[in-house]
Amino acid sequence: MGTPRPQARHADLQRNILGFCRLLRERELLVSPSEVIDALRTANAVDLGDRQELKVALRSVLTSKPEDIPVYDWTFEEFWRSAPPERVEERVEDSQVQSDPNASQGDDSEPQPAEGDDDSSEATEELEMPLYSPVETLAGRDFSAFAADDMAEIARAILVVAKRLATRESRRYRATRRGSAIDLRRTMRRNIKYGGTVIELARKARKIRKPRIVLICDVSRSMDTYSRFLLQFLYAMQNTLGRVESFVFSTRLTRVTEYFHSGDIHQALDRIAAEVPDWSGGTRIGQSLKSFNDDWSLRLLNKHTVLIIMSDGLDTGDASVLELEMERLQKRAGKVIWLNPLLGNEDYRPLARGMSAALPHVDLFASAHNLASLQALGRHLVV
Amino acid sequence: MLPQIAEIQSRLERQHYVTDRAIATTVYLAMELRKPVLIEGQAGVGKTEIAKVLAASLETELIRLQCYEGLDASSALYEWNYPKQMLHIRLQEAAHVEGRSVRQAEAEIFSEPYLLQRPLLRAISHPDRAPVLLIDEVDRADEEFEAFLLEVLSDFQVTIPELGTVKAEHRPYVVLTSNRTRELSDALKRRCLYLWIDYPDFEKEVRIIESKVEGINHHLAEQVAGFMQVVRRVRLGKTPGMAESIDWAMSLMALHADHLEPEAVNATLGAILKDRDDVNRLSGTRAETIISEIGRLDPKDLATAAPSIAQRIDKELAPRS
Repeated sequence: MGTPRPQARHADLQRNILGFCRLLRERELLVSPSEVIDALRTANAVDLGDRQELKVALRSVLTSKPEDIPVYDWTFEEFWRSAPPERVEERVEDSQVQSDPNASQGDDSEPQPAEGDDDSSEATEELEMPLYSPVETLAGRDFSAFAADDMAEIARAILVVAKRLATRESRRYRATRRGSAIDLRRTMRRNIKYGGTVIELARKARKIRKPRIVLICDVSRSMDTYSRFLLQFLYAMQNTLGRVESFVFSTRLTRVTEYFHSGDIHQALDRIAAEVPDWSGGTRIGQSLKSFNDDWSLRLLNKHTVLIIMSDGLDTGDASVLELEMERLQKRAGKVIWLNPLLGNEDYRPLARGMSAALPHVDLFASAHNLASLQALGRHLVV
Repeated sequence: MLPQIAEIQSRLERQHYVTDRAIATTVYLAMELRKPVLIEGQAGVGKTEIAKVLAASLETELIRLQCYEGLDASSALYEWNYPKQMLHIRLQEAAHVEGRSVRQAEAEIFSEPYLLQRPLLRAISHPDRAPVLLIDEVDRADEEFEAFLLEVLSDFQVTIPELGTVKAEHRPYVVLTSNRTRELSDALKRRCLYLWIDYPDFEKEVRIIESKVEGINHHLAEQVAGFMQVVRRVRLGKTPGMAESIDWAMSLMALHADHLEPEAVNATLGAILKDRDDVNRLSGTRAETIISEIGRLDPKDLATAAPSIAQRIDKELAPRS
């Protein structure tokens, strides 16, 4: 880099990388000490003058799944601001000077213009005070009680909760796998080539079937917020679950599974909201479930499917249709879960005509109005 | 950009692999830090291809381990050639070879000639230079196998009880690919550099088509890429990847098409859509809409116009679902 004090610069770079790694870890990326070491080695192996190069190089070390990538990109921009790495180093030096007079050697760090100073204090503040607030404080609040500004924060918290659930589930799978038994039929067959002497044992393990989830979400006006979060939650858990098929309805049923193939859930949600003709309109649950039964249930439902319906049950259509369709659904699906966010309200009783017609055909009736209840739901998603 | 990275990029391009900066940088780091690379992405974005091209550009052997459910250590590492051992024993019995201890006989049948090397052992014991080891679709193997793989990838040595320990003299370059049918273990991810490959953008797709399809004219390559950019954004049962773009461009070439026109497109739609419902959705008027939209646009606007064209198609399709 051709600087007067390469040693000092090197130390600053190290400090910056460590800070950057810490920030990523706070945002739930998989950054352990070994990644940090690799990040430091990487920084030594690339051209530090080239911001883009540093960015893509560190990205391959510090991310481990596609969901990490937007978080990484945004954190990188935030942490290294819009300045090339050398400048960032200077900034840390500056802030060091401000906070610790002993560290001042002041030979090459010229006083920065005012704007630069502001930036630097911001950057260090961020390191000390993570932007990310812990899940626990959010867990009990009703989703509808959050201001629009908090939405991104809840979305991140949902990811964290889903990720924790996913890890827990996969650990359980591994434990049951160990209990494997000998498969006599295959053992005999495999050993024919040895003249009938049993040499190789064929084993069978209990096959674990991931439940398939079919989600039918009410997106009428009263349900918009809750549906969004439920969708986010389920898609974040998708690795633990089998395939998630999703439909939305308010007056009419629309299949939206493919919208989620693009990877970015927020984009997908926005697109659905823009394109589904009656997003945030009225509700016709019975009719919507009927069209699901007619067109999709044969293809999508079996005894390993968990069907989740999310709606407040305030139907403007005919309740007898709803009852009939619920009965049909329950016959085909492994488990029927009805989520009603109103249930989070202590005074609520499921008296609405639609709701009382549907309830006899529901295996689990739960709320999904806050993070804690989503977390509880995660445990029921196994058939 | 570091000259080494530029060099890797041009080496990959020489093998007709159109690459970008993230890919070249990751390959460079993999060589520099000697770490395996884990590549994830949708089907058909060229994950496996990277390993092949890397081997070709390093002029070394590519050893491929295709993973599948139930793949176990023995079929990945080594097996004893049981029938051959059996035959050897029978022959010895028949020839009445005397004066040999059981121990000697045993040592004989558990020696190199009776060993069947499977991909992992071959990669470790490669005699002259570091090969490229491709562990393909690692997400299809079981978690137990993943744990075993982790062990091999950290030490690059294996112990064969009857023969002793084999240690890699030339540590292989390791490329793992995954289609994300399940989440890999943190331990394995931690061991690897991570690379996510997305569908190519318009410019990259044009370059890929031009480098893979010999003799294609620039105009047709642009139209094919533009069409594919739109199709990938339409809601479909199965989104086509790069392999489909190339197949399609080749099919069009075979029909001597030098630009997209409805008849040829409808006749060759099977090259990109592999699901009957998808074909029904796009063939006919919808395909024509896309063609005419693309035909109207200047190439430099094609890249940005794809999402809105796709949205229009989706809207037309929506009432049917």
